[in-house]
Amino acid sequence: MIKNVSKYKIITYLIIAYLIALPFVSDSRSTLLLLTQVFIFAIFAMSYDLLLGYTGIVSFGHAMFFGIGAYTTGVYMKDISSSLGSYFISVALGMLFAAIVSFLVGILSLRLKSHFYAMLTLAFAGLFLVLAEKWRTVTRGNDGFTFNVPEVMYDRVVFYFIVFAAMIGVYLLLKRFTSSPLGHVLQATRENEQRTESLGYNVLTYRVISSVVAGMLAAFSGSLYVITLRFVNTSVFATEVTLNALLMTIIGGVGTLVGAIIGAGLFEFAHHWLSDLAKVHWIFERWIILFGTLYILIVMFLPYGVVGTFRKWRFDRSVKKQVKLIEKVNDNKSV
Amino acid sequence: MDVLINLTVNGLATGMLIFLLAVGLSLIFGLMDVLNFAHGALFAWGAYAGVWVYAQTESFIIGIIGALLTGAILGLLLEKFIVQPVYGNHIQQILITLGVMLVLSELLKVVWGPNQIATVTPEFLQGSWMLDSGVIIIKYRLFIIAVGLLIFLGLHLLLKKTKLGLIVRAGVMDKEMVQALGINIRKVFMFVFMLGSALAALGGMLLGPYSGVIHANMGFEFGILAFIVVVIGGMGSVSGSAFAAILVGLSGSFMAYYFPALSLAVNMLLMVAVLIIRPTGLFAAKG
Repeated sequence: MIKNVSKYKIITYLIIAYLIALPFVSDSRSTLLLLTQVFIFAIFAMSYDLLLGYTGIVSFGHAMFFGIGAYTTGVYMKDISSSLGSYFISVALGMLFAAIVSFLVGILSLRLKSHFYAMLTLAFAGLFLVLAEKWRTVTRGNDGFTFNVPEVMYDRVVFYFIVFAAMIGVYLLLKRFTSSPLGHVLQATRENEQRTESLGYNVLTYRVISSVVAGMLAAFSGSLYVITLRFVNTSVFATEVTLNALLMTIIGGVGTLVGAIIGAGLFEFAHHWLSDLAKVHWIFERWIILFGTLYILIVMFLPYGVVGTFRKWRFDRSVKKQVKLIEKVNDNKSV
Repeated sequence: MDVLINLTVNGLATGMLIFLLAVGLSLIFGLMDVLNFAHGALFAWGAYAGVWVYAQTESFIIGIIGALLTGAILGLLLEKFIVQPVYGNHIQQILITLGVMLVLSELLKVVWGPNQIATVTPEFLQGSWMLDSGVIIIKYRLFIIAVGLLIFLGLHLLLKKTKLGLIVRAGVMDKEMVQALGINIRKVFMFVFMLGSALAALGGMLLGPYSGVIHANMGFEFGILAFIVVVIGGMGSVSGSAFAAILVGLSGSFMAYYFPALSLAVNMLLMVAVLIIRPTGLFAAKG
């Protein structure tokens, strides 16, 4: 058993070492950019997983926090200053705005049933999209705008490491958060709302806390995202952004943070490769069909996603092994 | 005065189209507790299939029949293969129907291409009437309003006067009880799902000549409007859907004229207000 765990740990460390060494051994810019993108969306997907996987609420408005972070950083870089210090200020501001918005939306809507909550968040995200299109003095409307980024972040390799470190940091933070007593209450509300309520926990409060944390982290990923593009437009508020996070989380496995990372990787790589295949056959331009079908099949047949299913398989195997061991011992005794 | 009448007719026509889309969604939710996120995609499929049949046969009526059939068949397949396995699990329902919406709207682009398609008004509905006061009424808009009213009355009769309607209404109130009385609720589910899908497809088809073009994203756009209507009206209520659809249609057309900046947000604000005050909607079927 212990041997097994360390095997997976070794694999994880090997992957991390590989990702650290990658910029020094390979000079493929596109791979580097793709991985940077994966790390950013992994943060976004992990924040979504906190809602979907750990708290058990489906939000269709997660893009609004992503967009808030993206626009706060974009506008700050463009209109005030684009030094490294001001980048940190813009991230902090974006997370603060996201916290305020997610708090307000949360206390207004989290008491609703899951269906209504999903729709209400969809509507709120829609309002933000409209706001970003109409408030032209700040957002410059639909076309968006380009801006300068801090000098350090110009170097793709440096930025790759920054984002990689950010992803690991968020992972450790969320790992700590979800295994804290507070995180356990969240998982209890997911499993059985009434029982948690009757144990004396105010379910609404815990859900609001969860959505505030998720919103802040989504804003963080949004402000990292726009740095890679050095450009921001209203597409950061689009429903597709939320859907992508949803797909990543489901494919990787809900309720597993590693799943969100793996889901983000699979999603971005699949997108990249399948779009490349569009040169071979036009059907690959409609890659969403393949992906959507896969997603439906996963929801139906692999409700735990890639990582969840793997864990279940590993657990079942270790149980079987132990059963065999016990049988063996019993056999020996009887002999 | 002319402006007021025009805006009212416009608003009513849009409202009726949204009603066609929303009523199926509302009944499906009320009866089966399934929020079908793929409903908007059925609307778009109805539009494309109907307009295609219409162009091939040059008959608007056959086009409408084509749209209705497309909707009913898609609804049947959807209920049988996608929704049935996930009855009772809200989160899985939301996720799976969302996936269906993605696939269906992309498939639309594969079949008919990604560009928007222009549609013409059938000959017998072209043109407009001039009233004495100088108000111009476009025939097609009146036609949509008439169709919407007919469907509303038809549904009303179906639900209130027939045995099937009685079962559906009872099912909305208490599913288990109906089942305990020896009625195969599965079959009723399937019928309502097909009916709702066919009506959505009809709405899409009628939208074609109304707006002049159909495009692949209309399913998502109108799907959101339909959700808003269902939330405002209350799940499972036909009159609620009609009332809310007309409200949304009218407020949309008046706002677009008087306060264009607000017009995009007005529906969402309406929904937010209703949800916060009455989370079950204005006319919820469940007491």
